[in-house]
Amino acid sequence: MQVFKLCLKILKKNIRSLLIYIVLFLGISTIMASSASTEQNTDFSFTKSKARLAIISEESTPLTAGLQQELAKIAHLVALPDEIEALQDALYFRTVSYILRIPKGFSEKIMRGQPVKLHKTVIPNSYSNAYLDLSIDQYLNSARLYVEQIEDLSQEELVQFLQKDLAVETAVEIKTNDRQAAKQTYSQYFFNYLSYSLLSILILGLSALLLVFNNQDLQKRNACAPLSTANVNRQFVLAVLVFTVLTWLVMALLCLVFALKDGFTVNILYLLLNSFIFALCAASISYLIGTLVKSPNAIPAISNVVTLGLSFISGVFVPMELLGKQVLKFASFTPTYWYVTANNRLASLTKFNYTNLQPVFTSMLIQLGFALAFFAVALVLGKNRRLQ
Amino acid sequence: MIVSVKNLVKRYDDLLAIDHLNLTVHDGEVFGLLGPNGSGKTTAINCILALLEYDKGEIEIFGRPMKPEAYDIKRHIGVVMQNVAVYNELTVEENINYFCGLYVADKKLRQELVREAIEFVGLQEFTKYYPKKLSGGLLRRLNIACGIAHKPKLIILDEPTVAVDPQSRNKILEGILELNQQGATIIYTTHYMEEVEQICSRIMIIDKGRSIAVGTKDELKAMITLGEKITVESQRITAAQLSALRRLPNIVSAEYKNRLLVIKSSKGSNNLETVLEFIKQEKIQFGKIYSELPTLNDVFLEITGKQLRD
Ligand SMILES: Nc1ncnc2c1ncn2[C@@H]1O[C@H](COP(=O)(O)OP(=O)(O)OP(=O)(O)O)[C@@H](O)[C@H]1O
Ligand SMILES: [Mg+2]
Repeated sequence: MQVFKLCLKILKKNIRSLLIYIVLFLGISTIMASSASTEQNTDFSFTKSKARLAIISEESTPLTAGLQQELAKIAHLVALPDEIEALQDALYFRTVSYILRIPKGFSEKIMRGQPVKLHKTVIPNSYSNAYLDLSIDQYLNSARLYVEQIEDLSQEELVQFLQKDLAVETAVEIKTNDRQAAKQTYSQYFFNYLSYSLLSILILGLSALLLVFNNQDLQKRNACAPLSTANVNRQFVLAVLVFTVLTWLVMALLCLVFALKDGFTVNILYLLLNSFIFALCAASISYLIGTLVKSPNAIPAISNVVTLGLSFISGVFVPMELLGKQVLKFASFTPTYWYVTANNRLASLTKFNYTNLQPVFTSMLIQLGFALAFFAVALVLGKNRRLQ
Repeated sequence: MIVSVKNLVKRYDDLLAIDHLNLTVHDGEVFGLLGPNGSGKTTAINCILALLEYDKGEIEIFGRPMKPEAYDIKRHIGVVMQNVAVYNELTVEENINYFCGLYVADKKLRQELVREAIEFVGLQEFTKYYPKKLSGGLLRRLNIACGIAHKPKLIILDEPTVAVDPQSRNKILEGILELNQQGATIIYTTHYMEEVEQICSRIMIIDKGRSIAVGTKDELKAMITLGEKITVESQRITAAQLSALRRLPNIVSAEYKNRLLVIKSSKGSNNLETVLEFIKQEKIQFGKIYSELPTLNDVFLEITGKQLRD
């Protein structure tokens, strides 16, 4: 195991430059975590995350009153005059994020079991608006069910039924969903950022190792020893794997420390699996770079270009939603994109059935494909170089 | 017979680097391979070690054919390459331990061998140094220690003293003789004829991949017609004196330049006496006068028509 030990010693000699990335990761993650927890205090207190809602009702019946009462539970009601300018201003200045208009004849249509359409004006991309939509839908659907099932139902009775039903379910459900989703968003950031640190460490470590290993004079000298090439390569690959797994373990542990602060979820297990697969892919990229690079001075520059480049276009530093379509399309030819895609999807999952996980598994498979491809290219190039 | 090379031919594309080389090294010899830069010494060594594929020829070591996978042969060979091959990430001690460990699995025995090797090359004070911190001479010594720590039966050294100061060089040469006295057979390549004369029991001179002469240094010198070279420091030599000198028996040439009279004689006795007699007769004033036996450079010069080193 002389060669194996040698490889570990060479890696150990380079550990100082690798530690920088771990410290960097710790620093940035701590900042992210602390900002996350302060947001948590305000955001998670249920009342404050309420959407600001204005209801313009063109009729006044027990049913509209019931709907208003129900929505008041999950939103902050704001009274506005029914004037176009006033409504526009309110939206513009964010006095409200949702304006609901109940048209004339609404109650009558409901009681007859006819479909109704409520008109809404909203600020786009607001979480709380989505919950409002959901609640309104649920209210109307439940109302239709009652009207269909019970004959000669009065508006007052219907309102009472609905009140009982919805009071229990919706409020509770929204609350849990909300908290879980928010929490996972943060672990997703740690794990996304992990790709940058992991790749940096592996590129620096493995190219330093390969540079020594591919040195012609040393290769020749080692070939004089009674040791088969296959044996040497086995020990070398073993060292590469050990280094990869160790690096992953350290980084994953750090991620866990941050992610577990808010309690354990199944999502974390899948995030860990995804990060391990990415680690294999990163090792393979590093192997390729190590085979191509000819001077130790070039390693840091190449490492920076590759890791920063991949991280920026693949949504590690900047959320994918903010990146252009072209950029993302280009990014999809890189493994980091698929790693982040899988992470983002995993973060929003609450049910782990095959249908939900299938895109995640696809992303993982694509990453493994990249790993194999890079490794194969490295082997071919390495062989050509040795023949020279 | 330790090493036998028969009809070795090695081509690099158009260049014929080794041209039908034959060579035998016997047990207990210090065999010198002497040749100018680019004469094919390293190429020959690499072929012998099965590091290079060659076009033609047979190579046997310890009586068995040498192949890349002949591990039982490689186990008993120590190699010191022309280009220093050590790991910058390992200390002096770790380097020797690593290379020794490729041959010797036993940890205890290895510790002892490493310690001996460090003492042998005199690197005791530098065991914890990294190669980057070593001077050129010390680095060469480390390179040697890495090659010989496992006490091989056959040691091949390819120009181990390039760019080493005379003092370090002498230490290295003495060490090689000591290894030989301990029972190792040595193959030593160099383009310094002084080194070969100092330590080699048998010498092969090669040029352009061909062996041009083999033998002990006395045998080699006996191959040429040149005898001793006599140099006289003198303020004034006339042209008449010079041509008279040239007519003396056994004198091959006489030149006067920069107040130095250089007289070359062919083999035979009393050459110095003849010259001294002449100087006395002509009443030539002189400072220093000295006589040198022919060197391997003279051998090389006479066979190839060019200097060993320019
Ligand atoms: N890998 C190679 N490819 C092509 N030509 C080579 C190669 N290695 C050596 N040569 C050529 O082969 C010839 C012999 O080279 P070699 O290195 O064996 O000489 P050498 O006697 O060891 O010289 P030196 O004293 O400089 O070490 C030289 O002309 C050299 O240019
Ligand atoms: Mg050479």
